[in-house]
Amino acid sequence: MSSVEIVLSGLLISALRSATPLLFALLGECLTQRAGRINLGVEGQMLVGAASGYGATAFTGSPWLGLLAGALAGALLSLVYALLTVPAAANPFASGLAVWMLAFGLSAYAGTGLVGLRIEGFEPLAWGLTPSIVLALALVPLIGLWLYRTRTGLRWRAVGESPETARAAGIRPWAVIVSAIAVGGLLSGLGGAALSVDYTRTWAEGMTAGRGLVAVGLVIVARWNPWLALPAALLFGGAEALSLRLQAADSAISAHLLHTLPYLTSLAVFAFTCLRLGARRGDGGAPAGLKAVFEH
Amino acid sequence: MDDGLGSAALREIGLSAAAFIALSALFFGLIGREPIAMLGAIAEASVGSGYALGESVLRATPILLCALATLTPARVGQMSVGAEGQLYFGALTGTGVVLAFPQAPSVVLMPALLAAGAAGGALWALLPALLRVAARVNETISTLLLNYVAALLVTWLVYGPWKNPHSQGWPATIDFPDAARLPTLWDSRVHAGLLLALALAVLLHGLFTRTRWGLVLDILRSNPRAGQQAGLSLARQIVLTMLIGGALAGLAGIAETSAVQGRLQADLSNGAGLSGFLVAWLARGNVLRAIALALLVGALLAAGDGLQMSAGVPSSATLVVQGLLFVAVLGVGGWRARAMASRRTGAVDV
Repeated sequence: MSSVEIVLSGLLISALRSATPLLFALLGECLTQRAGRINLGVEGQMLVGAASGYGATAFTGSPWLGLLAGALAGALLSLVYALLTVPAAANPFASGLAVWMLAFGLSAYAGTGLVGLRIEGFEPLAWGLTPSIVLALALVPLIGLWLYRTRTGLRWRAVGESPETARAAGIRPWAVIVSAIAVGGLLSGLGGAALSVDYTRTWAEGMTAGRGLVAVGLVIVARWNPWLALPAALLFGGAEALSLRLQAADSAISAHLLHTLPYLTSLAVFAFTCLRLGARRGDGGAPAGLKAVFEH
Repeated sequence: MDDGLGSAALREIGLSAAAFIALSALFFGLIGREPIAMLGAIAEASVGSGYALGESVLRATPILLCALATLTPARVGQMSVGAEGQLYFGALTGTGVVLAFPQAPSVVLMPALLAAGAAGGALWALLPALLRVAARVNETISTLLLNYVAALLVTWLVYGPWKNPHSQGWPATIDFPDAARLPTLWDSRVHAGLLLALALAVLLHGLFTRTRWGLVLDILRSNPRAGQQAGLSLARQIVLTMLIGGALAGLAGIAETSAVQGRLQADLSNGAGLSGFLVAWLARGNVLRAIALALLVGALLAAGDGLQMSAGVPSSATLVVQGLLFVAVLGVGGWRARAMASRRTGAVDV
């Protein structure tokens, strides 16, 4: 094969494989931000999800139980963020960083026993697609329809737009916000587990390497729309898949330099989105309750 | 930002400390360690001997500089979490000077490498600063993403073009010549970077509290609209404070490299950037308080290294404790602020 062919063959599948853990986190953070909270703790929720998912898979032999354990761990950790930002009303950015810091320590502590353990992951179904990829893809329309076409979806969006108005309409905003944070935690924990159990099939300290932070930025690129979460996740996944392919095709380019591509791509589209949102002076679909976060 | 230490503030510190100790004790209980004994062991391992104290101060030095790097843009309301990346890029540019002029005498090389480190850190802060003022790009997210890029650039150089050809497997540059090593103090590993950090902290405190510039920053932070109507430029101050912050973190990076490791290597930060953010947050914008808190957090993390060797507790346990400290302070602070606000207005939000 020529080097161009090596770069392009199966690129879409590779992009999808790399995008899957991020897609779970993006969908979860999309719901959290829709209810008016921006949670940088996604990075930490993915980390505890990755550690507990890997541990559960190693000890039970079932990658499905691994995904379940990861999701539960992510949800449990997100309750720390919920406690900080809802009853204590602490700064959302700092609260997310605190959760990340805590989770980095917790996952590193729990993960010391996991280093070097081997697991049996999922068997691919077809064309290299694994169950976790199919699950992530199926969640896109499910969450999209749920958010835009159901009464509960409407209630969540109403809280994100204005907690005061929602309360006047008989909704308890705090219950919606806590649920949205917990669902975000569940999905980002699931994403972390998909990363360690299915994508890398290994555990390493800090292995999410910023994927959760990227998810927080890409939610804004996706304009808080679950349907657009898929193309947004594919931007990162595509950049990562491309960097891996380029390494395989031409070893003259440093792998470390190529690894900067997914971060730079994410930053570029994030900056471009902010520029467009700012120029239009519109909200670009931003939940009104989030605007205060972006204005200084 | 500079609330004095009145009785309300003291009560808040007391409550935060109580919450922190309770949470840590709970964690130690969960991992099967006797809580009181562990707290004692942490104290022993952080300040119990001259050596332990030295390691604590050593660990606190880059944390203090990174806290200053966070505090400075925070004076105009910017929430930069980029100290980690600026630290890496400052170490990179400073090392570049050493590799370019390895034979230069110390009187030239030392100021040049410190200046290059500061300039590199500032350069790494320039992009998020410009994105913030030109395109309203949230600086918290942009600085976080750039942290990974800077660390990868250092990794690339030490595995590739800058790798010491004579080292067998270890990815690092050549050892710095003696002329490029910051001096150490008091027969310990503590280095002159500490004095630099302390001097800069005092200088910044003076600038923030005693000068017209400090007043400008206060006005732009507390009421940006009024400040701009009075002819002050928020954009200019955002870029300026971000650049100063970047330079401070860059100094942290080159000081660690020059004094502690003596060569550029991939894992140079030890999480100082994020710990610095925590310290800045705990200090509530007060630079002098940040000095004490950097020592506290540095002591905690140094104790983690000590306990790993003496008691077989993984050092990640102290990372958990550091996270719990942040959670306790945020929780208590937010809860008290809210209780006071609702007492004033009688309103309850959410």
